Amino acid sequence: MSVVEARHVTKRYGEVRALDDVSLVFPEGRFFALLGPSGSGKTTLLRAVAGFVEPEAGEILLDGEDIAHTPAHRRNIGMVFQNYALFPHMSVFDNIAFGLTVRGTSRADARERVHRMLELVRLPGMEQRKPRQLSGGQQQRVALARALVTEPKVLLLDEPLGALDKRLRQEMQIELKQIQRAVGITAIFVTHDQEEALTLSDQIAIINEGKLVQVGAPNEIYENPHSVFAAGFLGDANILRGRVENGIVAVEGAGPVAARGALPPEGSPAVVAVRPEKVRLSAEASAEGVNRIAGRIFQAVFSGTSVTYIIETAVGTQRAFRQNAGERIYGVGEAVVMEWSPEHTVVVEE
Amino acid sequence: MQTMSHRLLPRFADGMGRAFLALILVFLYLPIAVLALMGFNESVHYALPFEFSTKWYEALAGNDRLLTASFNSVWIAVANTVIATVIGTMAAFALGRFRFRGRTVMQLLLFPPITIPWLIIGTAMLVLFFWTGVGRGLHSMLLGHVALSLPYVIIVVGARMASFGPELEEAAASLGATPVQAFWRVSLPVLMPGIVAASLFAFAVSFDQFVISYFLAPPGTSVLPVEIFSAIRKGFTPEVNAISTIVIFVSMGIMLAFARLSKFGGER
Amino acid sequence: MRAETRRRWAIAGLTGPAYLWLTLTIFLPLSAMLWFSFQRKGPFGRHETEFTLKHYEAFFTKDYLQDLTWRSLEMGLQVTVICLILGFPAAYVLAKRIKGRWREALFLLIVLPFWSNALVRIFSWTVVLRPGGVLDSAVQSVFPGAPSIDLADSWSAVIIGLVHSYLPYMILTCYLSLQAIDDSLIEAARSLGASALTILWRIVLPLAIPGLAAGAVLIFVPVIGSFFEPKLLGGTQGVVIGTVIEEQFTVVSNWPLGGALSFILLAIVLLILAVSYPFLKDRMRTA
Repeated sequence: MSVVEARHVTKRYGEVRALDDVSLVFPEGRFFALLGPSGSGKTTLLRAVAGFVEPEAGEILLDGEDIAHTPAHRRNIGMVFQNYALFPHMSVFDNIAFGLTVRGTSRADARERVHRMLELVRLPGMEQRKPRQLSGGQQQRVALARALVTEPKVLLLDEPLGALDKRLRQEMQIELKQIQRAVGITAIFVTHDQEEALTLSDQIAIINEGKLVQVGAPNEIYENPHSVFAAGFLGDANILRGRVENGIVAVEGAGPVAARGALPPEGSPAVVAVRPEKVRLSAEASAEGVNRIAGRIFQAVFSGTSVTYIIETAVGTQRAFRQNAGERIYGVGEAVVMEWSPEHTVVVEE
Repeated sequence: MQTMSHRLLPRFADGMGRAFLALILVFLYLPIAVLALMGFNESVHYALPFEFSTKWYEALAGNDRLLTASFNSVWIAVANTVIATVIGTMAAFALGRFRFRGRTVMQLLLFPPITIPWLIIGTAMLVLFFWTGVGRGLHSMLLGHVALSLPYVIIVVGARMASFGPELEEAAASLGATPVQAFWRVSLPVLMPGIVAASLFAFAVSFDQFVISYFLAPPGTSVLPVEIFSAIRKGFTPEVNAISTIVIFVSMGIMLAFARLSKFGGER
Repeated sequence: MRAETRRRWAIAGLTGPAYLWLTLTIFLPLSAMLWFSFQRKGPFGRHETEFTLKHYEAFFTKDYLQDLTWRSLEMGLQVTVICLILGFPAAYVLAKRIKGRWREALFLLIVLPFWSNALVRIFSWTVVLRPGGVLDSAVQSVFPGAPSIDLADSWSAVIIGLVHSYLPYMILTCYLSLQAIDDSLIEAARSLGASALTILWRIVLPLAIPGLAAGAVLIFVPVIGSFFEPKLLGGTQGVVIGTVIEEQFTVVSNWPLGGALSFILLAIVLLILAVSYPFLKDRMRTA
């Protein structure tokens, strides 16, 4: 098992900074997600680790050794590409054995190892098929087997499940994680899908505009986002903007808001975030008190297991999420009061 | 009445359309068919009624001028195919895989040889080759044919190149293949259908090339189209029909193979 | 940046041979011809280089050269228009009225002669059109006593031969743009109550314009530069600027005049290409 570390990595494309002084440690044996919108630089970082992008400044350490300028083929890093990049002219066997044969592994040895890999990805007996004869999910497994058979130090995955339909994607998420654990390899994967990042990874780094926004375990980032961007990109959030007055956040049009943790200095602006599922709704007439906002149901989005309410308030449109536990569902136009605990109110940076 | 016309009119229009298309095909193939047929007619003056004879084909076997010209044509076409395919594929690979300054200009430079009338290119080659002492002959025809074939090779291989991204080569690199291994074991096999198609095209460009060869052929040395041209001017015999028939069927056969390989024409 | 240096060498090494070849055999010859078009004498024997404009002056003072250039342009226009009139409907029928394997086969059948030997195809028309040739005999056998058809060495023969040569090109370019028109557009127009004629005029034609334009330019340009087609099919009727240029090099040996006329022709070609570049750009990419 190996550790990858990026130190002050910078890469520009013309005037655009794809990566701006990014430093990040990918711990041993963990499944690490690089999460961000398209164009955020997450793919550039992955490609820099793979060796397809040469950073202008900074180091990329693999087990302590700088590989930033080592050609890709000398890094011993496995990669699963977005569209799998299976060699169309080769059989499944030749695809998986490719990494072995270019290293001069004997045919017999290669056969044995490819066989084992196909068992691992649950595709035994598929050796002689051509990639185009496989389904999307099967191609994905072959790509994974091909990347793992050379026993690389690190496994990189570029939007690995993006091309699959939703149900298959959920199955593959579980399987991918099982295989990663079984092999015990350090894995880094790039995604723009927050749900995928939450379910698959042990650690998440949120990247935006070439900069690191926040790093942490999924639940840690979810419950304690540091910025408006992190709060909004990983999950959904109600954002309230106000000013610190008497140790509490005064939000114009909504009354006082009490939050967990340290506030900015007295008199300065403050932003807080509240997750929609932490909001309780009631049909009371008045909204006096702390952490209470009056509003009117604008839309109720029913999805079977839950209802998401979109509520018009004096401080803009806010959301509340309720499990469908048999409670009454509010109708459009009904007056409601939103209420939540200070414990669930997080101070974030703009 | 209304519904009748609704059903009948399109069907009538369809029939007319098909008939029109059939007429176009007759127009395109009739002269070629006549040419081929007349090569099998007994009479020198294409006199009808038609009397089947293979004597003109037999006469071909004894015609040294035409045989030498055929040999020259095939020789130049083969050499042209090898040279144009190799250096054209190299250029197509670089243009397809790398982004660099001057790339757009290089792509635009492919179009003059295709769009400028061959009359102008051919005479210009004559001027330069004569002036510099390269002279006329099979060697200068080869120089010219390769120049005309290169843009087509680069475009056809380039189209194949564009159909797969750099990921395949990156995948090979991530699996430990050196750039040279990646090229021979991944890029080249994947490009192969395009390369074969391009080489067929290059062969046809040279084999059918008349204009350039016409200006660069010295007296006494000749290739098939030039020989056919002078035979027509001198007052032709069905022998010319015979060799022309062979030429056109060879070139159509090659292009048929090209079409199958490259699937040109937007049919995926 | 070792990788960057390696990359540069790779690019130079891979593109070098092809572009060196093109330079030496296309661009250098054109430059040499341009140079000689301003010289009194061609590259024969030893001569002082002597700059002159007289070959270009010849074009502007000798009426017959201008007349022949107009004749070439007229030839180009006639051939292009006939190809348009025949080619567009044929492409339409092929793209929108015929389905599946038939369409593919017919398309191939139409394009195949275009990529085959041009000289032989022109030759075949001389066999068909000559007096006592196939066309004449066919007409005589159906209408005995009809006046003999002699199209050999006529302007009509030149036009027929050139249309035969280039018609597949027009069908090809029109077919490609017609095929790209989504059938649901036509269905949408029909559902909105448009008649077949309205659909053709307001939907199909505007969307097919790039193909039409590309086909027109790619036919017009080589036709005005043609010389063996008019020579073989037109005889004395087939004298155009192309045959004059050819004869400066093969018969008269006035290479500087031939060069000057080539460059005047090239200027016309470049003008046409420049004007039509926006249409051609897309076509080039797909063709």
